[in-house]
Amino acid sequence: MSTATIALLGQPNSGKSTLFNALTGLRQHVGNWPGKTVEKKEGTFTYGGTTYSVADLPGSYSMSANSDEEVITRDFIASGKADVVCILADSSQLERSLFMLADYAGLNAPCFLVLNMEDVAKEQGKKIDAKAIEKKLGIPVMMFSATDTKAYDKFYSTLERAIKEKPQINTSSLEKGYEKLNGYCEIKSQLDSNTPSGYTPMWLTAKVLENDKVVSAKLKNTLPDNKVKLIENLSNGNDGAIALGECKFAWIDEILNGAVSKTKTKAKLGKLDRIYTHRIWGKPSVVLTVVLGLLASFIPALPIMGIGMGINALNAPIREAMTSAGSPAFLTGIVCDVVIASLYFIINMLGFVFGVTLVFGLLEEVGVMARISYVFDNTMGKLGLQGKSVMPFLVSFGCTMGGAAGARVIDNWGQKVLTIALAWAVPCGAAWSIVPMLSTVFFGAGAPLIITAILIVMILHMWITAKIFSRGLVKEEDRYGMIMELPPYHKPKWGALFRYVLGRTKDTFFRVTKVVLIVCGIFWLLSFSSGSIEDSALYKFGVAIEPVTKIFGLTWPLFLAFIASSIGKEGAIGVISALFTGGSIFAATTGAAEKAANINEILLANVTRPEALAFIFAITFNMPCLVALAATYQEIHSVKWTAKIAAYYTLTALVLAFAAYRIGLVIF
Amino acid sequence: MNELLGLLNDGNSRTIEQLAAELHTSPEDISRQLEYLENIGMIRKVSTTEKKSCGGKCGGCSGAECRGCMPKNASANMGKVWEVVR
Ligand SMILES: Nc1nc2c(ncn2[C@@H]2O[C@H](COP(=O)(O)OP(=O)(O)OP(=O)(O)O)[C@@H](O)[C@H]2O)c(=O)[nH]1
Ligand SMILES: [Mg+2]
Repeated sequence: MSTATIALLGQPNSGKSTLFNALTGLRQHVGNWPGKTVEKKEGTFTYGGTTYSVADLPGSYSMSANSDEEVITRDFIASGKADVVCILADSSQLERSLFMLADYAGLNAPCFLVLNMEDVAKEQGKKIDAKAIEKKLGIPVMMFSATDTKAYDKFYSTLERAIKEKPQINTSSLEKGYEKLNGYCEIKSQLDSNTPSGYTPMWLTAKVLENDKVVSAKLKNTLPDNKVKLIENLSNGNDGAIALGECKFAWIDEILNGAVSKTKTKAKLGKLDRIYTHRIWGKPSVVLTVVLGLLASFIPALPIMGIGMGINALNAPIREAMTSAGSPAFLTGIVCDVVIASLYFIINMLGFVFGVTLVFGLLEEVGVMARISYVFDNTMGKLGLQGKSVMPFLVSFGCTMGGAAGARVIDNWGQKVLTIALAWAVPCGAAWSIVPMLSTVFFGAGAPLIITAILIVMILHMWITAKIFSRGLVKEEDRYGMIMELPPYHKPKWGALFRYVLGRTKDTFFRVTKVVLIVCGIFWLLSFSSGSIEDSALYKFGVAIEPVTKIFGLTWPLFLAFIASSIGKEGAIGVISALFTGGSIFAATTGAAEKAANINEILLANVTRPEALAFIFAITFNMPCLVALAATYQEIHSVKWTAKIAAYYTLTALVLAFAAYRIGLVIF
Repeated sequence: MNELLGLLNDGNSRTIEQLAAELHTSPEDISRQLEYLENIGMIRKVSTTEKKSCGGKCGGCSGAECRGCMPKNASANMGKVWEVVR
């Protein structure tokens, strides 16, 4: 009985292991390649009286020495252990997967080509003429589906033919391309005699030009010094690798020319991408998408706000019941003014947490986010940033801390600082829940306009901030554009999406409740007094600072809420909840709280619309939160710049409040 | 491939389709060139949010895990991005 050895060679996922398993079944041995952690799989099978041993080589991109897998693969092949090498390529993408074959061309071991995944190619409407390819290559070529058990007869007969004929790839037209390259002929003439076995001078020369360190080292050992010097002078780094790569691709195209035809046409969603990637319409369409997305988030949010209203309606009956049951004013206050009032705000906010998360999660799922990041990417350069900064910005829509940490991928320190500084201007998830909620309370149906205005201000803010900060941080250095592969549009996975959205809403609920209750409780305590409210220290302090805060359109309670929002946006809600609806202050001053159990009415009675507008802008563009501040310091390691950014944002928030207030005075 | 890298010199990012249009070739051709350039180390993939860019320490801002930053597996839908290695 005769024996033969086959090696399975191919890029990752070309189907080597599938073929290997089908051929050998249980007759396998799995180990490691000597000295490497790469898995070594060998097996045997018998067919037509011959026992074959098969080696499932590790998947590698090419025959270069860029990875352990590649070195193992080519050493094995050059060693001559295999009688025949079975090269697998993916027929659904031949122009790239034949690269392995092109890189193999010039090695001595006999081989044949298996165009695997025939079924996938068929599905794509591709017709491949294996015979035509075979003629050009001079080795057996077959269409194949490793997953189709009925296809193996063809494989066995091709294998037997290859064992018998010992075919080698016809490299003449490939080498014609090589010969045009600088230094190819000179180097090859040095190698023509006494080359290491298993390799041809053509293959070695190509690798030398590609700057293949392993081949160069090997040659150094076998060639005389003067030849080594000559070769070193002629090989030229990356340019060589690029030129060689182009030769191989051109050769592949030549092989495929006339052998592959495609009937089906492309997907139709390309039109949408043409708009998003349009030089003029790209930006407006992305901004419009984000605006529409934010507006759409009102739809799921409003019913949840209804629940908030329901809780609010409980306030009066509970207060009454507690009072008539003889509960002390302090306890009634805590239950009604702190807990119920806080819950009202929290539930309303959660409506938007749910809505915004759902809408943006959906945009992400279907693949629109990738388009958004593409469009913003091209703006980055104009801000003096790398395209990579776009990811931190997008993450900042959810959480500024995530954005700051995400800036880690930016290696240039100045650009990193600038990226984080700008990421602060992106309103975070908490802002996107508090702001729509407050807007709805104060402006009703006008809320969408406020949201749009905030987005526009955000863009201007980032632009101006970039101009201000970039001076000391980024130099006019050359920026390379990036290459993006936009993902195909997907159908959303609703189950997973809702699980994510509900999970996030739940998490937010617990975190926000904690903060709001604590802040609200503290401020309520500070303002609680059994006697006249004017005696409380907080009131005295507030009235004292009010002349200054009024400049920015903020009454003292709103100003305190603004300060609290630097700790965390929800802190502002705690303060508002305590100072306005707690009733103690404004019951004293306006007498309204007594009658109006409706929190909305109390707010509207105590805060004018220009003041509300000023407040909304102040907290949106204020420092995001303490944690973001810490994260910023952690990433940029500079107290000076962290402080600069924090001070800048506190100041600009007040300036924006000032502007919003004046504009509000004109409008309302 | 030098033309491809040359185009990126102007600082603008491009999609594979745009590169194909500008270089008068097919997106498949661009993809294989990118794969090659990546293998010889002239370009590299930029990690998007894949490796939990907030390092899982997002707890302070948005829930116990990084979940808050982006939906799970979100980066799967963000496409691929390459930058030129300098
Ligand atoms: N549709 C189809 N799928 C196939 C075919 N051949 C293999 N596959 C699938 O392609 C995937 C990759 O196949 P593998 O056999 O693991 O590929 P490999 O070459 O061993 O990959 P590495 O070990 O990573 O180098 C598996 O999911 C296979 O089921 C085929 O002819 N048609
Ligand atoms: Mg495998």
